[in-house]
Amino acid sequence: MTASATEAAVSAIHIEDLWKRYGKVEAVRGISLDVRPGEIFGLIGPDGAGKTSTFQVLAGVMEATSGTASIFGKPARDARSETGYLTQVFSLYPDLTVLENIRYMGDLRRVPPDEITRRGQRYLRMFDMDRFEDRLAGRLSGGMKQKLALACALVPEPRVLLLDEPTTGVDPVSRREFWDTLAHLAAGGLTILLATPYLDEAERCHRVALIHQGLIQNTGTPAELRASLNSKRMELHTSNLSGAEEIINTLAGPDQEIVDVQRFGDRLDLIVRHPDAAEVILRDTLIPAGLTIDDIRIDEPTLENTFVATLRNLGQEVHSEPFPGRHGHAELKGQVAIGATNLRKEFGAFTAVKDVSLDIKYGEIYGLLGANGAGKTTTIKMLCGLLEPTFGKMQLAGKSGGLRSGSVRQRIGYMSQKFSLYNDMSIKENLEFFAGVYGVPEEEREEKMRWVLSFSGLEGKQDQLTGSLPQGWKQRVAFGAAIQHEPSILFLDEPTSGVDPLARRAFWTMINRLADAGTAILVTTHYLEEAEQCNRLGFMVAGELVTEGSPTAIKSAQGGHLLEFVVDQPQRAMEMLKTDEERWRVSLFGDRLHVITDDEAAAAIRATTSRIELAGMKVITAREGRFSLEDVFISVVEKARQQGKFVSED
Amino acid sequence: MRRIFAQVRKELTQIVRDRLALSLALILPIMQLMLMGNAISLSVEDLPVAVQDLDDSPSSHLFIDAFRQSITFHVIPFSTKISPDEAFIRNEARAVLIIPNHFGRDIARGTNSPVQMMIDGSDSNTARLIAGFSAQVANSWNTTNGAAARVQPVKAAIRFWYNPGRSSKKFYGPGIFVLALSLFPPLLATLATAKEGEQKTILQVYVSSISAHEFILGKIFTFMIVAFCECLLLLTILFTYFGLSFAGDPTPFIVATILYAFCTSSFGTMIGAAIPNQAAAMQAVALGGFLLVFMLSGLIFPIQNIPESIRWLSNFIWGRYYIDIVRDALLQGGGWPAVWWKVGIIAIIGSIFYTLAWRNMRRMQLKS
Repeated sequence: MTASATEAAVSAIHIEDLWKRYGKVEAVRGISLDVRPGEIFGLIGPDGAGKTSTFQVLAGVMEATSGTASIFGKPARDARSETGYLTQVFSLYPDLTVLENIRYMGDLRRVPPDEITRRGQRYLRMFDMDRFEDRLAGRLSGGMKQKLALACALVPEPRVLLLDEPTTGVDPVSRREFWDTLAHLAAGGLTILLATPYLDEAERCHRVALIHQGLIQNTGTPAELRASLNSKRMELHTSNLSGAEEIINTLAGPDQEIVDVQRFGDRLDLIVRHPDAAEVILRDTLIPAGLTIDDIRIDEPTLENTFVATLRNLGQEVHSEPFPGRHGHAELKGQVAIGATNLRKEFGAFTAVKDVSLDIKYGEIYGLLGANGAGKTTTIKMLCGLLEPTFGKMQLAGKSGGLRSGSVRQRIGYMSQKFSLYNDMSIKENLEFFAGVYGVPEEEREEKMRWVLSFSGLEGKQDQLTGSLPQGWKQRVAFGAAIQHEPSILFLDEPTSGVDPLARRAFWTMINRLADAGTAILVTTHYLEEAEQCNRLGFMVAGELVTEGSPTAIKSAQGGHLLEFVVDQPQRAMEMLKTDEERWRVSLFGDRLHVITDDEAAAAIRATTSRIELAGMKVITAREGRFSLEDVFISVVEKARQQGKFVSED
Repeated sequence: MRRIFAQVRKELTQIVRDRLALSLALILPIMQLMLMGNAISLSVEDLPVAVQDLDDSPSSHLFIDAFRQSITFHVIPFSTKISPDEAFIRNEARAVLIIPNHFGRDIARGTNSPVQMMIDGSDSNTARLIAGFSAQVANSWNTTNGAAARVQPVKAAIRFWYNPGRSSKKFYGPGIFVLALSLFPPLLATLATAKEGEQKTILQVYVSSISAHEFILGKIFTFMIVAFCECLLLLTILFTYFGLSFAGDPTPFIVATILYAFCTSSFGTMIGAAIPNQAAAMQAVALGGFLLVFMLSGLIFPIQNIPESIRWLSNFIWGRYYIDIVRDALLQGGGWPAVWWKVGIIAIIGSIFYTLAWRNMRRMQLKS
């Protein structure tokens, strides 16, 4: 037996030198990969990296051009009865009920009828959606659709689950639940291969592979990948972010002490080789320039840092021309751009938004976050003047009435993931159309278009049909189109969903630059990692704004502590702790167990450790970790729910 | 078998859920039958004929009365001072009958007396009918009046068979019935199949190991059931409102209807499998199911009237054979000896559609 054959024998999924060509396009260019039974394996990469093609080959719905793809030793196509496949768009029948969907999928897989019922009910109970058995799948929320799709895939009891970006457009709370379920299933022996463009999700996998342009660039556990950078992440708090960023940018480079710098809402993240040396450099350069260093914290680099560094080494960075800004709004800075006092919106007996008050100033980036049904969309519609509030006062661009007037609209830019561009027109035609609609002066159109194309990395492709672009690229063009007229107020509704990390950085660099020039920006996103880029955040729960502040302020206002345990039987430990504690306080990230406690940290570590060991498991390490914004968000939502604030899905 | 059944159950549930599909399936065919059955009529009645009576004698009055008694014509007295073609220009009449001033005298003498009939030829079909009917009127007038003294010429006694009242309802009813069965089941089948591709649910089907035959048959059986429901509904109306009944052995009709439902459902499934876009697939079925069957199968327009250069096409149109079988069952009653080979052709065309649909789907994989 050759080495690879031995490997294949113990692998749940075995891929060797897999190629997939579509005409001249090479989507997959020689991937080799082994996933062990019971492992959660993440395939991380940007749009168009070849993830979906790989999944389709593994699911047996498409033929590979060459190479092997096998599942438990059988060719993928013959192993279809062993696999469950979740596609990006959940392939559910919207006009069938929850039970009917399960029934049909089970019938297709020849599951005995009474087994379909039994297993279907078990999974629905597990996912806490047995109340919705008779609801049409089309009427479920995004998170529930995803759970139903998972239930359908699980009913035939597959040994391998293939999940292709299963959490796109799903809110953080549902995503956390979804991941807890996956951890539970993996512990039961199920092998899971999962694709995601989001690196915070990758942290929850046992192993990940970075895939880019049809090739695997890097494989390992999240910890291994982070360690492979040989660097530390330095969080720098300073009074003048843009000034400091500018100076550090001149110092940073792949061969320098400071490798990289990235701006967040209230801090800079630096990737440095030696924290002490880097700190000396910073003090020597920033302080003479009149900048303060308020705080420095050292931490491990994130997977995103690794990913960006890997892609940079491959020369994939987007270098766009500077934005040809002609009409700055610097004189407006500090004034209120979007003001709302006690906004309230009622639809019949249902109150979608309750007494929301907020002020967003020119030059500020404000992030509005919330679970599905929290009232975000309704709030945005009121804030940009599309929807009349039932009560409350609105102020937009200095006006409190006539918010839909031409002069107000001229000053507003709006980009939404749902409405972006006309697919049947070329990129150039789209840009010309939007330039015309927004009244971009004739003499500026040429340079604006050049800029959008360079920002999107689409120079010379302006005659391509927009519909043929991958989603992430479309988003970039749509973003460019929305800011061509240099609005002083910009609404961005999930602008970066499906956009890869490098391009996302280009987005945020641009957003920061617009804010520096005085534009007020309101952003929504489901990704808390991204929300850290905002100056201020507002969390909405059940139509109310429950928390507001800078990312750091919100995190430090969070009471309690985050404890991180490495245990020999993480799944069992999680399930045990979940029965004792409130469920949301415990979750599993790969092999690490996170417990959120309100007690004093050291005492809580001791108490939890003894509980785990009393149950016959071993605690390998235990320490206090730092809250991620997602941890905070979830505990804010859960605590608000306990006070009776929740939107019923019934 | 179980998976075919699962497929059928799922499709039927979806149709029942979808109001639009349900009304397409059941209400539209009825509306079509009622509307078209009453609206289409190629027989002519009450054609306005202007009469210029230059003679104004008792004989000429009698002659005009003969026209007046015909249900085909509606006589309008027309002033002799106006040029007769004015009647066409003013759109007052489709024909002008001019009786010369020596008409009464000629009749009394027993000599020939030509009258002139000017016919508006812009609608050639109507013009031909007017010419024919006016010749008949003149003939019968000759035999009863003018030529009483002479030997009675041979009299043609015309009787209409199969549709004695020449009711157009009876003629068109079966045609519209066939049109409805040619249009709605394949339309629904194509929408249901194209939707799977459009909404990507087809991926779940591919992932399961259901075979192309099972999948396609599931779809086809569903829409055959829809076709049978439509068939029963429409037959009820044909037997009551249209006053039709089986003229002979109904078994060729029953067998042909099952095969025809299979044929049109396969056609719809084939198109839906080839075009994974509901709007485009619908266009294709509307072209095939409606235009071709409507124009080229003799439902409304006799096949003999189709220009020769494209008449051969009608040999490939499935509706052409079924309409003959339906007319035979409801009007002629010729039974198996008259139509057996037509039943066979429907089966052949149906299997061709099925094979093409299967060929498209057979790998149950995404096309690269």
